[in-house]
Amino acid sequence: MSSTKLLMTFPVSATSHTLVEYRERGGYATLEKVLRQMTPTQVNDEITASGIQGRGGAAFPMGRKWGVIHLNDGQPHYLCANADEGEPGTFKDRWILENAPHLLVESMVIAAYALQVRNAFVYMRGEFDLPYRRLAASVDEAYEAGYLGERILGTDVSCDLVIYRGAGSYVCGEASALLTSIEGRKPYPRNRPPRLTVRGLYQRPTVVNNVETLANIVGIVANGAQAFRAVGTAKNPGTRLISISGHICRPGVYEIEVGYPWSKFIYEDCGGVRGGRQLKAVIPGGISTKVLTAAEIEPLHLDNQEVEAAGSSLGSGGMIVIAEGTCMVRLLQVMLRFYHHESCGQCTPCREGMGWLHRIIDRVVAGDGRPEDIERLYQISAWNDGTTICGMGDAAGYATSGILNKFRDEFEYYIDNKRSRLHGNLECLASS
Amino acid sequence: MPRIFINGQPIDAEPQHTVMEAARANGVVIPYFCWHPQLSIAGNCRICAIQIEDRSWVEIACNMPVSEGLRVLTDSDQVKAYRKSIMQLMTLNHPVDCGICDKAGECTLQDYHYLYNGSPSLSRDVKVRSTKFHPLSERIVLDNERCILCSRCVRFTREISKSNALGIIQRGDASLVRAAEDRPLDADPYSDNVIDICPVGALLSRSFLYKSRVWYLQPTPSICPGCARGCTVNIWHRKAEWKLNALDPAKNVRIERVTPLENPSVNGPWICNKGRDLVQIFERPRAEHAMQKGGLVDLEAAIRSARRLIDEAAHPVALVSNWGSNEELAAFRQALGARFTTLVKQDWAVQPGERIEDDLLIRADKNPNTLAARALFPIADDGGALDGATDLVLVWGEGFDFERVPRGAVIIVLNAYVQPENGHADVFIPVSIQTERRGHYTNFQGTVSAFEPCFPKKPSIADAEALFAALAIPEVEPA
Repeated sequence: MSSTKLLMTFPVSATSHTLVEYRERGGYATLEKVLRQMTPTQVNDEITASGIQGRGGAAFPMGRKWGVIHLNDGQPHYLCANADEGEPGTFKDRWILENAPHLLVESMVIAAYALQVRNAFVYMRGEFDLPYRRLAASVDEAYEAGYLGERILGTDVSCDLVIYRGAGSYVCGEASALLTSIEGRKPYPRNRPPRLTVRGLYQRPTVVNNVETLANIVGIVANGAQAFRAVGTAKNPGTRLISISGHICRPGVYEIEVGYPWSKFIYEDCGGVRGGRQLKAVIPGGISTKVLTAAEIEPLHLDNQEVEAAGSSLGSGGMIVIAEGTCMVRLLQVMLRFYHHESCGQCTPCREGMGWLHRIIDRVVAGDGRPEDIERLYQISAWNDGTTICGMGDAAGYATSGILNKFRDEFEYYIDNKRSRLHGNLECLASS
Repeated sequence: MPRIFINGQPIDAEPQHTVMEAARANGVVIPYFCWHPQLSIAGNCRICAIQIEDRSWVEIACNMPVSEGLRVLTDSDQVKAYRKSIMQLMTLNHPVDCGICDKAGECTLQDYHYLYNGSPSLSRDVKVRSTKFHPLSERIVLDNERCILCSRCVRFTREISKSNALGIIQRGDASLVRAAEDRPLDADPYSDNVIDICPVGALLSRSFLYKSRVWYLQPTPSICPGCARGCTVNIWHRKAEWKLNALDPAKNVRIERVTPLENPSVNGPWICNKGRDLVQIFERPRAEHAMQKGGLVDLEAAIRSARRLIDEAAHPVALVSNWGSNEELAAFRQALGARFTTLVKQDWAVQPGERIEDDLLIRADKNPNTLAARALFPIADDGGALDGATDLVLVWGEGFDFERVPRGAVIIVLNAYVQPENGHADVFIPVSIQTERRGHYTNFQGTVSAFEPCFPKKPSIADAEALFAALAIPEVEPA
């Protein structure tokens, strides 16, 4: 792969995650520079100038989120890394947590300095085991080496980092639910207003950033915003970690420069579709983004602007490749089972709608579909569009209407003939 | 004051108001299930959807702060369509068993269905089954199929009664309201308020369960006499036009249930569980006949005897009831105040197991009208021995230890309920209770509230206000 790397800059080995090797790669030099030579405002300006967008799915500019925090407003601020990587298809933050945990720790201390945060948190999903052990060991190492705790590196700056492990609920990845979970309550997302940067954790201004977004801070501050902007596109600078899975020859986490050609990524970098089959469709960034057909992605580049123009989004970078012969009705059933299972049940459209969608698709797959079911799936999706407390209802609606828009004929065939037009398996056998 | 426009109509809103509050303050109707004026904003039911003009999407009114020049629509086509969809979703897994539901007739879901939906369910799939008659506490059962998870009850126990007794477990459409195991709802003396604020028939009072359809009942405004707070309540009893003749006439004069009568200056929209259980006070065995030393006499004869005894007494002492209304106490003072040494008696004391006092409603004084009684009669009964010279004791109401009467003194008792001492009194006159007359109480803050009669008084029972006037008329000796 020829594109620039900002995060995957070192060969992964059994010890590459340790403090010793991280320091050998120049680790914590940036923190030292920041604490001794830069003011919080300078760090903030650098982040804003870099134009980095959030990597968690919503692509909100990090500088604008940080800009809401008023320094010296006399109240505590909090910083939280969202490591509740629960979007199906997404496993890129896991790479950072397992292989570059100190990069996250260093970035978070810089961010804490810039935002005047005394207590920072990492909210990690409960299923993460190795990532937790690696990050926890790194935090211990960092405390021992004086990069965390009281008077970091002998300066007046102090910051504590606490790792909070969730219990595996999807909705905890939503920033406000995540904070509610840290507070020890049931993780129901909160209504906006107020924004979390105004009243977040413990009712104080709080910044919640994705792990990958935070991990870029060290690079941005070390090399300057201009160097960061030199990578990627003008509107969306930097690189993206893409976790690719599904019917692909070489699944895994890849770092690509924003604007990298999509087909080149799939066919060259990832080795193409498994078993020599044709590409049918791609879910670009986690199942909450709308599916794109093979023809649609052909001319596109991996740049959020372009993908959004095509009616979808790069989301969290969790790419799922779907080979020809995959039954989209079954695929939608799997997705809706997930959304039904993970709906927190707080607000009406999602609580009732997810179950309804799931029961309809179950019935269709069982061969008991009715002609009006397709309209009903559309209708329930529309009822969730922009009307729920958090984005999960919308997301399920996008996923549903996305598949229905592109593959409606498969659903009609299934309903009319009470069976799939294709062989119906979702799995690609290893031998194929 | 920011000026906002609701459906084009200008409204001057309070700066801290939400659109919901501004609309309600100005008589604009926006529907809601989860919102409640006394509770925090949950924003989960989504029925209060409104639309900001020139925006293509709907938002919720309960969480939208007002701002200068804000223009919202509460009945645009899009809002109407969205409300309809919310009603479809609300009733998706609701059993729609109004025919056997106690809430039918006063159910928000029922009303809104007719107002905002009115069409049958679009679903052809089986409903989610859930728990019926879940025993949430000794007083409340929960029908989880009817529950719409508005979380009002949960927020009530967290924010108002502060027992933290309720929470929601599970998630999605399997969510269930449940009581915390270590803090049972039984210990919450305000628990029954969750029955009132439940917008559907999910939380049900065990004492009222299947007792009556609500449309057979009428509320009569009254006052809870359970403590000095004097919460205003509605006493629900059978409507006269639905009077039962053959089946069970006792139902016609029975208190079916008690609910709060919202009163911002006294109790807000809440009452405690003691106020719900007025049956336990008012429906104790009643004394219905006048007696002289245990022998039945008619009311007129008893009044004549009492008047003569009062006339003959040299040192009469009266113990007046702090359950008497302002009118009765004033009548006693006017008619007999000069004749008697008058002490204000505490009719009721704290009962075992009862909460004594808290900072929400419950007061330590378990009587409704102590303030008014003490204003008229400054001396409180300290429970000690009465003056040895006392030769007549008039005891009005309950809570008097008759051992305290000096030997040889004459006893006159005015009481509404059966008690052994009635039969030992020289004269016993039965008096009416609060549900049989009109009157006022003055609560501990000095706020005066009114109560109205629910049931007719039997002719053999005296009305205390008239009785005192009758006792004072000097007997004219026949020439």
